This record gives sequence, structure tokens and C-alpha cells, in this order.
Amino acid sequence: MRLGRDGIAGLVCLAISLALLPHAFGLPRLPIVPIGPGFYPAIVLSFMALMSAVLVLQDLLAQRRQAPPRQAAPAEPAPAPTRAYGLVAASFVTIAVYIGLLPLLGFRLATVLFVGVFQMLLERPRSLTTLLRQAAVAVAAAAVTYLVFNDYLAVLLPRGSWTGW
Amino acid sequence: MFDLLASGIINVLQWKYLLPLFMGTLVGVVGGSLPGVTITMTVIVILPFTYGLDPLAGLAAMTGVYVGGSTGGLITCCLLGIPGSPSSIATTFDGFPMARNGQPGRAIWLGVWASVWGGLLGALCLVLVTGPLAAIALEFGPWEYFSLFVLAMAMVAGLTEASLVKGLLSTAIGLLITVIGTDPIASVPRFTFGSEFIGGGFPFLPVLIGIFAFAQIMTDIEKLPQAGKAGSVLAQARFEKFSHLKVNWEIFRQPFLLLWATVVGLIIGILPAIGGSASSVMAYDQAKKFSKTPERFGKGHHEGIIASEASNNANVSGSLMTIMAFGIPGDAVTAVMLGAMTIHGIQSGPLFISQQPQLSYGIYAAYILAHPLMLAICWVFMPIMIRVTSVRLAVLAPIVMVLCVLGAYALNNTMQSVYVLLIFGLVGYAMVKVGMPLAPLILGLILGDQIELNLIRAIMTDNDPWLFFTRPISGGLLLAAALSVVLAIWQHLRHQKRTLEEDTDF
Repeated sequence: MRLGRDGIAGLVCLAISLALLPHAFGLPRLPIVPIGPGFYPAIVLSFMALMSAVLVLQDLLAQRRQAPPRQAAPAEPAPAPTRAYGLVAASFVTIAVYIGLLPLLGFRLATVLFVGVFQMLLERPRSLTTLLRQAAVAVAAAAVTYLVFNDYLAVLLPRGSWTGW
Repeated sequence: MFDLLASGIINVLQWKYLLPLFMGTLVGVVGGSLPGVTITMTVIVILPFTYGLDPLAGLAAMTGVYVGGSTGGLITCCLLGIPGSPSSIATTFDGFPMARNGQPGRAIWLGVWASVWGGLLGALCLVLVTGPLAAIALEFGPWEYFSLFVLAMAMVAGLTEASLVKGLLSTAIGLLITVIGTDPIASVPRFTFGSEFIGGGFPFLPVLIGIFAFAQIMTDIEKLPQAGKAGSVLAQARFEKFSHLKVNWEIFRQPFLLLWATVVGLIIGILPAIGGSASSVMAYDQAKKFSKTPERFGKGHHEGIIASEASNNANVSGSLMTIMAFGIPGDAVTAVMLGAMTIHGIQSGPLFISQQPQLSYGIYAAYILAHPLMLAICWVFMPIMIRVTSVRLAVLAPIVMVLCVLGAYALNNTMQSVYVLLIFGLVGYAMVKVGMPLAPLILGLILGDQIELNLIRAIMTDNDPWLFFTRPISGGLLLAAALSVVLAIWQHLRHQKRTLEEDTDF
């Protein structure tokens, strides 16, 4: 039987809680405190395991209820709304690269690159004007945030170990 | 009390507090009016700017965002039929039809004025009721606190739109995040597996920013190919001539409607993490039930707009009450405010008002003053705001992300918090994709440490576990928690039965 979205989420949470439970029970008990450091995490993990199991069970029952009769004609699938999951994945990668580059390139350079690239990713520049506007937004965003945070709010923003800037 | 409030107002009228309050309100109105940008998101964006400010200035800015955001959502509600923020959802039902009937100005200003009056009535209750509520909370021992937190979590899990099981599981994930790191009594490392990165646990704010900001932005990016031409519609919006006096007369000739919507908003605000959207819909529903002309609802009826907007602004004062009297966030926005208070070394809770009178009455004053400021902002900047509202996601998303990174980084000037932000960004988005509600997770995250501490304190004081049930307040709170779970199950079963009946009705 196939598991649905809820079932998979429940299984992942169940696996995490069952993997951590022995660790919680194995935490050292202290003589001065009536309950050890593992007491509360064990309650939380047991509760999480229970809820995860119920979610898996609910999903299995729901799948069984929704299973189509064998002789029924295949229903016309409803058109699913377009979801740009590729764009989401690319956005996560861009943000991760930005975070990775921050200590290497420094805040100013990394932010100009990030804002510029992220804008291009979300809206492909089809003209020179759009490209110039995106570049201007990138430079302005980096400059304004740097001035406000570094100079006005005295936040020591990351300096680049590669650039020294 | 009122002399403290007067000195609080005089204090906040100083430039160093008034300017952050004004900026916060302005950003709140604009953020609230941007479809897809919630008030939580806006307060997260403004958060890093408050680190370097005086605690009251920072909290004034956040209060401004909260008040401004609760009102700002109505602009796109009326002009586009899309709620700018979830708390304005019910305004769409009548605001949009009224605007389509050629009265966009009347629709928006009915909402703005109702927000002002609802918010100010809520402020009156905030000032009068928070102190007595805190006095009740002072009588609480660890048993009562533990039970109160359990009730808060049970209610939030039960009231989420997803299933009760998912709500409870989400709460458990939030609680689990708080046990990672060292234990609060003996500093024994838990679930760190020798890693220095998580040795001290996960800092609250980067986790919160990661979960909410990424879940929001990535969900918007997902729908980017379907994005319409909303911007151009907004930019072309023109208001008809109308009278502000007439708009106010429409509100005040039905004082019961205004009062009842305010009371609904306040009560929903006091209950933890239910939020403005529920108060807006509930007040709208109540207004329709009590109305002499219920058939006009949904066709541009002024009563619908007044109920929704008065309620969602009064909801803000209810949330502030809960955070100031009990130290429990009423919703995600007050959760961020609670985090900001912690950064400044301020402990919210029953002793907050007596120990920090200047700050607490400063918050009251900021809340009160945010309303005339919001009114002035809407009056002067409405045409500009409508243009700002048409800004594209391609421009907005990178800037919001930079501010989120700064919000995490500026917390302690280390990259560790930024890495935590990214990790929990992935977690937040994954949770949204599997339909797991985020509000219970956040409440679990905020209350996790306190629940553990109070549980340990209670057991160390007297190791009889029955005390949780036999102490009257504690027992009552646990009974209420159990009832709220039972009610949620009953509602779920009733909904399932109705769905089955509808399915079989050929």
C-alpha cells in the first residue's frame, strides 16, 4: 500500500523520535535532582512518536478509503496548479551559496552578487533596462543595508577572508 | 495607573521613540498591504534594525508594525480582492464588492477608521485589564504555569486548520528543538552528539525567522509563474470623492457592532496563537448574525468591513495583554517581540508591569499613539503606498532575504546563527509542503524551556504528580486543555461526517 504525504511525514518524525529515545533514556541521572535531564525529553519524544504513529495510521486508513474500485474507469485527472519547484530549489541553492560566500567575499560584495543573481533568477532580464534596474537595486540594497547596519546600528558585518573587504 | 500612562505617552512622544514608532507603523502599513507578506514577515524584516535601539524604541517600532500591518491588509482587500495580510481576510468579503461598486475610497476609509476606533477601544482594555490579569498570574505556582502552557499548546494545536494530530506533532517538534543543547538544571548536553555547533542549543530568533520567512517566500516563489497583473491594477486605482465625517457616522451609528467586534477581537487576541484572521472572520460572522440586513453581507455592506477591521486591530491589544501578563505570545508577531525583549534582557511575564513600569506603560503608549500615526500615514501616503504595493516579488524577495540573514547575524555577530536560519528555512518549507501547521511549532519552541523548568520546579518542590490535577487552578487549566482537544476531535469528526454526506448526495 502506498503512503501519502502525511504518512511519509509521520514516518520521518517517528524515525527521528525512535532514534533519539534511547539517547534520552541513556542520559546520566543526578543524585541531587529527583528527575534526570532525560526525563522531559523522553516525555516529548514519546509524545512525538505517538503522534507520528497516529498520523501514519490515519494516512493508511485515508489511502484505503480513497482507493478506487478495481473495475472503475480511470478518472480524468484534475489539472494541477503550476508550481515552480525548480525555481524554489534554485532559490535555496542561491541563498545557501550567498551564506557560504558571506565570510569569504564579505557582506558588501556577496550581497551585491546575491541580490543581482536572485533577481535575475526570479525575473529573467529581457532588456538592457531591466538588467540595469536589477543591477541598481542590487548595489542600492547592499549599500543601504551596509550603511544602516554597519555605520548606524554598529553591527560588525562579515569581512571577506578572500577580499579583506 | 493613568498618571503612569500619561507619563508613558509623554515619554514616547520624544523623537527617539516617536521616529521608530512612525517608521514601524509606515513599514507595517506597507508590509501589511503587500499580498503574500504577512505582519510576521514584516516584523521579522524590521527586527534587525531594533537590536541597536533602546528597548522601548525597538518595541515601539514593532508595535507600530503590528498596528500598521493589521490595517494595511485592507488596501489590497478592497482594491484587488486579495487580503494583504491574513488578518484582513473578512474585509475582502465586503470591501472588494464595495470598491467594485465605484466606492473604493469609502471602502478603504471605513476600514481605516474602524481599525482606529477598534484599536483604541482595545487599548482601553489593554491598560485596564493587563494589570489585574498579571496579578492573577502572580498567584500561579509551577504547577499552574505548567498547566497554563499545556492549555496554550492544546488550544493552538486544536484550532489549526490542519488536523489535530498534525497540530500536536508540530508542537512536539517545537518542544524537541528546545531540548537540544544543555539541560537547564545540570547543564548536561542533550542530543548534541559532541557537536559544538548545537552545543548551546538553537537560538530562538534565527529558528523563528528561518521557519516563517522561508516558508513564506518560497511558497510565493512557487506560485511566481501564476502571478497576475495585480501591480498594474493597483497603480491605476483612483478614489471617488467621499466624506470622512459620513464614514465615521456610519461606524458610530451602530455602536454595538463596533463594541462587539472589538470584544471578539480582544478575546481571540488573548487566547494564544489563534491570530487576527480568526478574529476577523469570527467578528464578521457575528456581525452578520446580529445584523438587521444580513442579506446585504458579501455585496459591499459597510457592517462587514467595520466588524472585520475593528476586530483585527483589537486583536492586537489582546495579544499584547497575553504577552505582558503571562509571558505567552498571543501570536507569531508577539513571539518575535518576546524574542526581541529577551535580547535586551527583559523578562516578560506577571512581574513585567510592576518591575518595568516605564517600559510597560511605554508599550501601552506606543500602541495608543500608533493609531493616530497610522491614520496620518494612510491620509498622507495612500497614493504612494498603493504604488509601493505593486512592487514585484523578484525585487522584494532578495531584499527580504538579505534582511533575514542580517536579522540572524546581528543577533550575536556570528555566522552560526545564519547557518541555523538556513537549516530551519528548509525545515519550515518542508513542513508547509507536508501541510504541517507552523503556529503550534512556534509556540512549542517558545514555551518549551518554560514547560521543562516549571515541571522540574513542581516535582522538586513536591514529587506528588497528582498536585497538577488536585490544585484547583492547575486542575482547571488541564481540564480546559483536555476539553479543547476533545472539542477539536468532535469538530473534526463532524466535518468528516458532513463531507461524507455531501459526497453521497448525488
